[in-house]
Amino acid sequence: MDKMRMMLVDDEEGFLSTTKKLLERKGVQVTTASSGHEALEKLAGESVHVVILDVKMPGMDGVAVLKAVKSRYPLVQVVMLTGHGTVDSAMEGLRSGATDYLMKPIDIDELIAKAEEAFVRWQIMEEKIRIAEGKTPEKK
Amino acid sequence: MILFCMILVPLIPFIAVLAIGYYHFKTSIETSTLATMNRIVEDHRQMIDGFLKERRGDLGFILNTNSYVDLTEPERFYALFAQLQRYSNAFVDLGVFDQDGIHVMYQGPYRLVGIDYGKEEWFRHVLSEGYYISDIFLGFRRIPHFVIALKREEAGKTWVIRATIDTYVFNELVEKVRIGKTGEAYILNTEGVFQTARRSGGSLLAKDPDDVHESKPHQGVRTFIRKDARGDECVFATTWLQEKGWMLVVRQETADALKALRSATFMIVVIMILGGVTIAILAYTVTRQIIRRMQRMDVEKQQLGKQLVRATRLAELGQMAAGFAHEINNPLQIMKSDRALMEMIFSDLKKRGDVREEDVKDLEETLDQLKLQIERCSKITQAILEFGRKSEPTKQDVDVGEFISHLTSMIAEKASVQGIRVKKEISEQTPLLRADPAQLQQVFLNLFNNAIDAITERHGCEGGELSIQAGPDTDERVRISVRDNGAGISPDNLKKIFAPFFTTKPPGKGTGLGLYVCFGIIEGMGGNMEVESQRGVGTTFIVHLPASRAGQTECEPKES
Repeated sequence: MDKMRMMLVDDEEGFLSTTKKLLERKGVQVTTASSGHEALEKLAGESVHVVILDVKMPGMDGVAVLKAVKSRYPLVQVVMLTGHGTVDSAMEGLRSGATDYLMKPIDIDELIAKAEEAFVRWQIMEEKIRIAEGKTPEKK
Repeated sequence: MILFCMILVPLIPFIAVLAIGYYHFKTSIETSTLATMNRIVEDHRQMIDGFLKERRGDLGFILNTNSYVDLTEPERFYALFAQLQRYSNAFVDLGVFDQDGIHVMYQGPYRLVGIDYGKEEWFRHVLSEGYYISDIFLGFRRIPHFVIALKREEAGKTWVIRATIDTYVFNELVEKVRIGKTGEAYILNTEGVFQTARRSGGSLLAKDPDDVHESKPHQGVRTFIRKDARGDECVFATTWLQEKGWMLVVRQETADALKALRSATFMIVVIMILGGVTIAILAYTVTRQIIRRMQRMDVEKQQLGKQLVRATRLAELGQMAAGFAHEINNPLQIMKSDRALMEMIFSDLKKRGDVREEDVKDLEETLDQLKLQIERCSKITQAILEFGRKSEPTKQDVDVGEFISHLTSMIAEKASVQGIRVKKEISEQTPLLRADPAQLQQVFLNLFNNAIDAITERHGCEGGELSIQAGPDTDERVRISVRDNGAGISPDNLKKIFAPFFTTKPPGKGTGLGLYVCFGIIEGMGGNMEVESQRGVGTTFIVHLPASRAGQTECEPKES
């Protein structure tokens, strides 16, 4: 079984670095991206299971990034990270395929718990796909 | 200025109507009075003319039916005179004159036979004209009288017959004319000498003091108003007799003749004064009312303006606060993460025993304190963002009585600990509310908690009273008030009470957002919120909320 690989997307560098350190100490593999573009670039090169995505970012905003991720990598689970005032955009995110959302300021354990839940979903989905793909070559 | 116009505007047509009415009435009264005078003077002229004509006819008949010889025969003459007196008692005497004016025959109270009248004015007149009526004169007998004389010529002989008319009878005829109190009639000759006595002074043969006579006769009747000798204004009507150059005068004092006009004038003056006073009083009261209403409207407008400014200010503050809260949220997030990292590192260090025992406790306390303060900040930002959020509340019909009972049961425990008596007065007519019950609960719990705090501040644990009243309001609304007998709020603080971050509580005890959020919720429901307070007496919060349209009557609440 794979270990969960997480990507953290937020425009606040301070938040990124601290949270990365925290997560790594908790034994979570994590990469970071400080913008939507960077996140999409990194996703192309790395295998990531769960993306924690800030809704409010300059440039490409959270919902746009979500849509792009979901269209390119449907299996990747996205958890939206919202401030209080952006709950509505979190709802829009859920409608556009986000797995869950988290309200700022978040607790690190809560973050990990939500990420694990999302990873479980990823595993289930992956399993389904694998079975579907596995069956086809056997018939050949 | 307004008062002046209010009086003047109705007064102008009012006075105009009275003046026009008065003018026409006056004209019509004067015309009718003069017409009456005209008729009277004309009637009497005909009567007097008729009298004179008859007397002349009487004499003419005698003259034409008897020859000179017949007349000069005493027996026959006396018989004729007796017959004449039977026609009319106005005849005093009768005489016959020859062509030289010698009094040939006479029958009457005097002895006049043989007197020569040849040089008398009347005799010369009768010889030339054939007929003569004299003015009133004294004559030989020194008694006022007038004569009618006629001449007859036959076979070269001329004779004259003359009769004296009793001035008393004649006087009576004219004097009996009476109009009103002062109306009278009299006759003047061409020199303006009274031919009949005048009731209002002016004896026979005296000169008329009013000086209305004319030396030449005129046709018809003349009417005019002139001051008489005593200075009283009189209406005159004059006409000339046809039988004799006398002028018949009918005279009446204007005041008497126009008595109706005088009473009308009096009435008009009374009406004018009463009407004027009424108009003035009405104008004064109406103006005062209008001015008072306008002043009240001004005050209301000012208050409305102030309210608007306050509401706008609150809205601006709200936006500012929301922006601020949002900006604070990110640093808070970082602080929270960093603290969590620190805690983690610290626990690793602790496990490895790299930290001195005495530092462990201090560091743990510091980390806990950091956590506490970050959470406090985060609660504040959450509350602010809650206010700014435009999420759709789930509205439903709320029974105010049930709702308040539910809320008071929630605070009953706390209140009884603080020795506070909770009173409820819910009117049976209270309509159903249309609102989000969760939001309503937030608002009223906030108000109750504030009230309890204010009460304990003043009374400690005894004697507190919290009273909740609800009832129908105007404009299909519901009025709910929460009154406490707590410490009260100073006027300065009262102004800022709904502003965000305003609190009188010690730092760390209140965020200053409770009432601000309540205000926002109530406004969002289409209601409004007021506060009244007096230091040392208590505070009342009044909430007005729209009633449910289905809940006008106290029917069963709709549960959906």
